[in-house]
Amino acid sequence: MKIVIAGAGEVGSHLARLLSRESQDIIIIDSQQERIERLDSTCNLLGLVGSPTSIATIKQAISGYCDLFIAVTPEETSNVLACGLAKSCGAKKTVARVDNYEYTLASNTPLFSSRGVDAMIYPELLAAREILKSLERNWVRNWFELHDGELIVIGVKIRDNALIAGKSLREISQENHFYHVSAIKRHHETIIPSGKDCVQPNDIIYFTTTREHVDGLRELCGKTETEIRNVLIMGGSRIAVRLIALAENKYKFRVVEIDRDRCEQLAERCPYARITHGDARNMEVLIDEGISEMDAFVALTDSSETNILTSLTAKEYGVKKTVAEVENIQFIALAESLNIGTIINKKLLASGKFFQMLLDADVESSKFMALADADVAEIEVKPKAKVTKAPVKDLNLSRDMTIAGLIRDGHGMLVSGNTVIQPGDHVVVFCLANTIHKIERLFN
Amino acid sequence: MFKKIRHINYPMLLRVLGWLILIESGFMLAPSTVALVYGEADLTGFAIATITALLSGLGLTLLIRPSKNDMGRHEGFLLTASVWIVFSLFGMIPFTLSETPLSVSDAFFESMSGFTTTGCSAYESVEGLSHSIALWRSLMQWIGGMGIILFTLAVLPMLNYSGGMQMFNAEVTGITHEKLQPRISSTAKTLWGIYIGLTVALIGLLWLGPMDFFDSICHAFSAMSTGGFSTHDDSLCFFNSDYSAIVILIFMFLGGTSFPLIYRMLTGDYKSLWHNDVFRAYLLIIGVFYAAFVASLALEGEITDWRTATIYPLFQVVSTITSTGLTVTDFSSWGPFILALMFVLMFMGACAGSTSGGAKIDRMLLLLKSTRNELFKIVHPNAVTNIRVNEKVIPSHIVAKVIAFLCIYVMVIAIGGIMLSAFGMPVIDSFFSAFSCVSNTGYPGEMTGLTGSFSLIPASGKWVLSLLMLIGRLELFTVLVLFTPDFWKQ
Repeated sequence: MKIVIAGAGEVGSHLARLLSRESQDIIIIDSQQERIERLDSTCNLLGLVGSPTSIATIKQAISGYCDLFIAVTPEETSNVLACGLAKSCGAKKTVARVDNYEYTLASNTPLFSSRGVDAMIYPELLAAREILKSLERNWVRNWFELHDGELIVIGVKIRDNALIAGKSLREISQENHFYHVSAIKRHHETIIPSGKDCVQPNDIIYFTTTREHVDGLRELCGKTETEIRNVLIMGGSRIAVRLIALAENKYKFRVVEIDRDRCEQLAERCPYARITHGDARNMEVLIDEGISEMDAFVALTDSSETNILTSLTAKEYGVKKTVAEVENIQFIALAESLNIGTIINKKLLASGKFFQMLLDADVESSKFMALADADVAEIEVKPKAKVTKAPVKDLNLSRDMTIAGLIRDGHGMLVSGNTVIQPGDHVVVFCLANTIHKIERLFN
Repeated sequence: MFKKIRHINYPMLLRVLGWLILIESGFMLAPSTVALVYGEADLTGFAIATITALLSGLGLTLLIRPSKNDMGRHEGFLLTASVWIVFSLFGMIPFTLSETPLSVSDAFFESMSGFTTTGCSAYESVEGLSHSIALWRSLMQWIGGMGIILFTLAVLPMLNYSGGMQMFNAEVTGITHEKLQPRISSTAKTLWGIYIGLTVALIGLLWLGPMDFFDSICHAFSAMSTGGFSTHDDSLCFFNSDYSAIVILIFMFLGGTSFPLIYRMLTGDYKSLWHNDVFRAYLLIIGVFYAAFVASLALEGEITDWRTATIYPLFQVVSTITSTGLTVTDFSSWGPFILALMFVLMFMGACAGSTSGGAKIDRMLLLLKSTRNELFKIVHPNAVTNIRVNEKVIPSHIVAKVIAFLCIYVMVIAIGGIMLSAFGMPVIDSFFSAFSCVSNTGYPGEMTGLTGSFSLIPASGKWVLSLLMLIGRLELFTVLVLFTPDFWKQ
């Protein structure tokens, strides 16, 4: 598949890097030579120096055909324009990143598709959705649903009070059968566990389970679901506006914003939220806002450091759920280890969304989620594939992977050692990063 | 609590090396088959070499299970440099075991000379060599011409990721490395496709002439890769055919042209060919030097018939600039001026991205343009200037890198020459041999007699020259970086 990415900013380069590891033909365009040089010399892709809105550059990149054109420059107008140009130069599908909620409304889709933009991604909206999800399921770190929730992958941080803490997987699996421990994130590495591995406090465990067993799993992890009502938002960014709009009356929001004019705008746009002008880094401001009575604290300023540190402060004041926007990708691992409930990164969310679009186009296998150094993929099992020959425990599978669950005839089920995989099943596989190609062979 | 990362991923490096050795054993099947068909005694040597390569390759690939698959910049450089050495080590086995056996240093020299397309021979005479040995010498040049790594990238899907990218950068010649297609494997496939296509065409054309099929193959491999091994001591003089000389002349010229450019032309983009500054310079240099050769020959009274005015000087110009080193006539009587001109051609080499050696016209062009700018700035100190090649402005850090390259290039030749003279060779011969090897041309040390081969150089000198050839083929940095302490430091 040939994919042209316009704009080698953070989203563009992240996406290009991820995609170039798959079997895709990637061409990336940016007007800054250094950015292109860096990517071109380290990744398996073709870099083009030139303006993403120049017809000559786009023609050169597309040169005949192009399956997907992704415009992710910082300016939304350039993105929309680039997509329009690309479409007329022969791109099959175009996606633009936009900064305007209005554009993403379904009623405006025909308008944009007539101008050559097939789909739009608004990262702020994705982030707002993600925050909302994490407020609803506040006991988990990550929550992924597959096939309309037939299978659910949950990431949970284990504390001392968890029933399973300190036990080995073999012991745990003798007691219960309704979940599958698919990966353990310990310190900075991800482990694909075997029966001998133990669950230790402070691990983040990724479970695969079915919908009806989620509550049981929560009890097992010693977590309680807290009803969240009062939410304090630091920084009245666009994400905050979208979050408040999406949540409707479910939560009571208070927003602390440092810029006076922005406060006025917020007050206009979010009639039901209480807007305060002040610096949330100042303790007194937080105390005035009643930080100790808050159920959740959401830090959405432009500075990742401020968001991380203020979230930690909020935790000290007894806030149960904290969400921090961390835009520096290298800080994410650190922030995760610092007891911050949920980390929001617009770039990763946006690239995840692009991935899903590829998933719709390309069916064979699809990586739907990337942990730090592990991938989770959904793979369709072909007739006569190696994995169908014997029960899972007799397959001698590599230690780098584990089959977590499968979807057969639209129903999710977990995989144990005795399960025999059948052709046509969709299996969910956890594997260490970059081993996915090895694994695909098993299923074809 | 980060897991300690090993500086260089040796297990993966060895595993990939294993794959590469397997590929070499595949190539060795060709001369082995020839030995079998002709019923030659050298079959034993080839069988041993093939089996050794096969077993080592299998051993490395099957026994080593790297925990991590990724290869970075360090591994890229190390692997590329070591592959060329390992290929030469396996490639020399048939030479040591043949009917006219070479010593270990001679055999290594011979095989390194083949792979780096230098084309200087340790054999005193190549006339008596068996068909299989002759084919293997030519085949080595042909593999090395386009690049061992590039071939591997084309055939091994497992290298089709960023690790392969690093190796590509370490091997392919030129200032910047042009990719034709987004994926490195498709780029490699395209380049090798063109290369194979041209070689097949050349074999066909030569076969139509006076050469027999076997000689056609050997000379096609040698000319296309701009190597220079011949099956005869008198090189092409042996055939005494204008037709063969002209065909080889054309294909040497193509071998010295940038392959990405040939690809563009094949896809119908003729405009880029004419607008390419480097290609125009290439044509211009050949034209100017041809004129100078003819003028000098006329003054020396060497022009006796139409051949000495047309084919011979032109052939020698192209053969030298593309670092091939094939000859159609004995030019030892042509005088010192022509010899000096040939030095210039040897130094320059042809276009980057081709199979030729030398410093490459791309770099000389940058140097010239940069010199012009510097001189201009002396007169107009406040002028803002830039260097344009192919209508693109070259950033100053690249210009600096190119100038550094040229300085180091000269230094490598000088150091090589000094080392050789330490082994007791005459000063001029040592410097010339070093020069000839770094530029991968392979003219013998004493230009007086063309057949005077490298066989007279002492064994230790041959190892130095082998190293110089490798440094020249991989364009300095890939090999030299391995000698810096910073490369090995954690």
